[in-house]
Amino acid sequence: MTSPTRRRWTGIVAGLAVASLALALAGCTGGTAATDTSGDQLLTIPREDMGTFTRNFNPFSPNAAPMTGQAVYESMLVYNPADGGTVPWLATEWETSEDGLTSTFTLRDDVQWSDGEPLVADDVVYTFGLQKEILGGFEYVDSVTATDEDTVTFTFSRAYSPALFEIGQQVIVPEHVWSEIDDPAGETNPDPVGTGPYTEVTTFQTQSFDLGKNPHYWQPEKQKIAGVRMLAFAGNDGANLAAVDGSVDWAPQYIADIENTFVAKDPEHRAYWFPPTGSTISWQLNTTVAPFDDVDVRKALSLAIDREQIVAVGMNGYTVPADCTGLSGAYDTWRSETVVESCDWTSRDVDAAGAMLDAAGYPLGEDGMRTFADGSPFAFDISVGSASSDWLSVANIIAQNLAEIGVTVTVDAPDWPAVSAGYESGDFQSGIVWSNNAPTPYQFYRGTMSTETVKPVGETTYENYHRLGLPEADELLARFAATSDPAQQTEIVDGLQQLFADNAPVIPLFPGPEWGAYTDTRFTGWPTEADPYATLSTRAPTTVLVLTSLEPVVS
Amino acid sequence: MGFILRRLGTYVLAFWASLTLNFMLPRVMPGDPVSRMVSRAQSRLEPDQIEQLRRLFGLDDRPVWEQYLSYLDNIAHGDFGVSISRFPTPVSEVIAGQIGWTILLGGTSLIVAVVIGNLLGIVAAWRRGGLVDSIFPPILIFVGSFPYFWLAMGALYLFGVTLGWFPINHAFSVGLVPEWSPAFVQDVLVHLFLPALTIVVVSIGGWMLGMRNTMISTTAEDYILMAEAKGLRPGRIMFRYATRNALLPSVTSLGLSLGFIVGGALLTEVVFAYPGVGYQLLSAVQGLDYPLMQGLFLTITAAVLVANFLVDIVYVRLDPRVRVS
Repeated sequence: MTSPTRRRWTGIVAGLAVASLALALAGCTGGTAATDTSGDQLLTIPREDMGTFTRNFNPFSPNAAPMTGQAVYESMLVYNPADGGTVPWLATEWETSEDGLTSTFTLRDDVQWSDGEPLVADDVVYTFGLQKEILGGFEYVDSVTATDEDTVTFTFSRAYSPALFEIGQQVIVPEHVWSEIDDPAGETNPDPVGTGPYTEVTTFQTQSFDLGKNPHYWQPEKQKIAGVRMLAFAGNDGANLAAVDGSVDWAPQYIADIENTFVAKDPEHRAYWFPPTGSTISWQLNTTVAPFDDVDVRKALSLAIDREQIVAVGMNGYTVPADCTGLSGAYDTWRSETVVESCDWTSRDVDAAGAMLDAAGYPLGEDGMRTFADGSPFAFDISVGSASSDWLSVANIIAQNLAEIGVTVTVDAPDWPAVSAGYESGDFQSGIVWSNNAPTPYQFYRGTMSTETVKPVGETTYENYHRLGLPEADELLARFAATSDPAQQTEIVDGLQQLFADNAPVIPLFPGPEWGAYTDTRFTGWPTEADPYATLSTRAPTTVLVLTSLEPVVS
Repeated sequence: MGFILRRLGTYVLAFWASLTLNFMLPRVMPGDPVSRMVSRAQSRLEPDQIEQLRRLFGLDDRPVWEQYLSYLDNIAHGDFGVSISRFPTPVSEVIAGQIGWTILLGGTSLIVAVVIGNLLGIVAAWRRGGLVDSIFPPILIFVGSFPYFWLAMGALYLFGVTLGWFPINHAFSVGLVPEWSPAFVQDVLVHLFLPALTIVVVSIGGWMLGMRNTMISTTAEDYILMAEAKGLRPGRIMFRYATRNALLPSVTSLGLSLGFIVGGALLTEVVFAYPGVGYQLLSAVQGLDYPLMQGLFLTITAAVLVANFLVDIVYVRLDPRVRVS
């Protein structure tokens, strides 16, 4: 496009001889999104993995419409992985008892539901009952009681410090609405009543829907934007085109070569920020089979791979190499520099890798290829879902790197369901995999090292696919869960990092970036690296922070 | 009448066979819907939550034959169940919300392609070696052999982005509410033009060549010679004598294509962000959403069978030989 305002084409397109279908293209169609700065413009956001929307605002549904847990329903607190801070939201303060067995949350007393009813402690109690009934979880919660109008007390069956965030980030629903519903699990909740800033469904089409202002919002001064508009796209291509074209304000999806394709079109207004706060992406080796049960082999293979190249080529330079704590950028405050400096198996050293494999009993043959003890070639597969083109190229780089030390790796790329079915049952050799991501490193280390998460091969599991468990890790994790003292937690996490560095349960590659790009022609106040009050994700608990911070541009 | 009844019997059998395939095929794919959902979202769930999800979605662990019987029973009552990938929306609602756009896009482009393609084929065969015959087949085959995805992206980029003549996504301008008003209908047509055009462009060649070939053999028939000898006008011979007879294979393929419209145009939907069931079907297969898959496949099967049945009936009218045998 040559001019920022979209060219209108008025006239007649006639062309179909028989049908003589004449289409008059009048100026009223399309294009207005890009230039509207009346102050009433809607914040327009694409959703790239839903070709169409269904009107389902049930927060307990695993497939609720986008923004259900962001703009419509809110939680008691919001944890921000970008700066490691915690923002009080529906609760003003919370307290965990000395023994870690009770937590008390004090609710804000000026919060109303979008139908005008006040938010009370009973709503929270009711929500947790419903959540446990429909979706399970919170098995450590013994009871939830409303001590008074604004205070909720949780008692736990065991001390479990990550509970604070898990409870705090549960979205709360109104009891007076949901208690009237016969089948809450099967409810599509077309007209939601929430405490969020944008709760009113003003239009709903299969290709797009609009959310308008909650008339009773508790921070009316922060409802500066008129509403949120979601657009459905069946894939990244369409969503990226809309972003490049300028018809959306926020682009939370992966865009290849974003500097040239997106930012360069309007460098003054467009920017992106990909903080490495997603989950750590690792190369997992099935530790139930030889030779991957040998920690030296895992470290040797790790030494042989070129993370700089993986990040630069495979990931477009959008993230950074991982270190041997395995921690992603979300846990920078926990990271122990001592551990990072003490280990070297995540920096490339081909000679050292070769030496370690020699020592471990996998000698280099005359043909330059390594063999197992029985003389068969040292060869195995990496399984990756074919849809993840970025991870596929990461796998190919690993294969090239390992060829240099005489190890043959074949990239096996069927579709994701087939790959993850193999991971889940333990029927795989190696693969590229995500990890648990939560406010504290507890879940990450639990999912990579605890014996509790190890299932025998053949039994389905959804974490610890590599099936490695360390009793030392169990002990540290139990101690972490039992304390809420920050100093003690830091010390325990240091121990976990050391354990990870010593045992290399998986081979960390890089922290997953949190995609996010925006244009400030119509809205300003976006989170940036300099002002990381939230990430640019549209599906995270922090999204509400962005929605309540943006301001429309008025001209 | 006997003929139609016999055909109907065949269709019932075919329908039952496809129902059974619908039921069996998804179940031989690895994994189950919950594990696929978990791995796709890359989220962490406790084992008891996963169990809970299984219960929520009503995944049953009954023996397969029991599931099969209740499946047949539900289908007979028009109950397709609740979609898993769109839980808790019923399958019928998911399909109903999108199939209109699919039929509009598929139907329009099919009709346009069939009409123009056949006319071009008729003219090309009638004037062999003429202008139409020498220009169109090579061009249409050339264009038609492009990968569709590439062609659609190119058209979108050229006419949508660079020239800005057409909207680049969706079935109508975002913010409008569907209604029967001239302004809205026009908006829908404007949005329909480019996606439909790309489908027409790639499919028209097949129709044209098919028609041209049958036309050529028909024009060699004795009755055409006879008609010419009688001194009938060429236009009358072309349409009333040659075309009528050459139309039969085209009608058969039209029947098939009509049925497949409801399967959606996946790539078109992806490129133009056009709503429809094609992408839904893909995600249902990827997410092992048995009920939605069954609902969609059943719709496609039913549509193909119905379209074929209609073609059979039309055949009786068009081709007297069918009536006799």
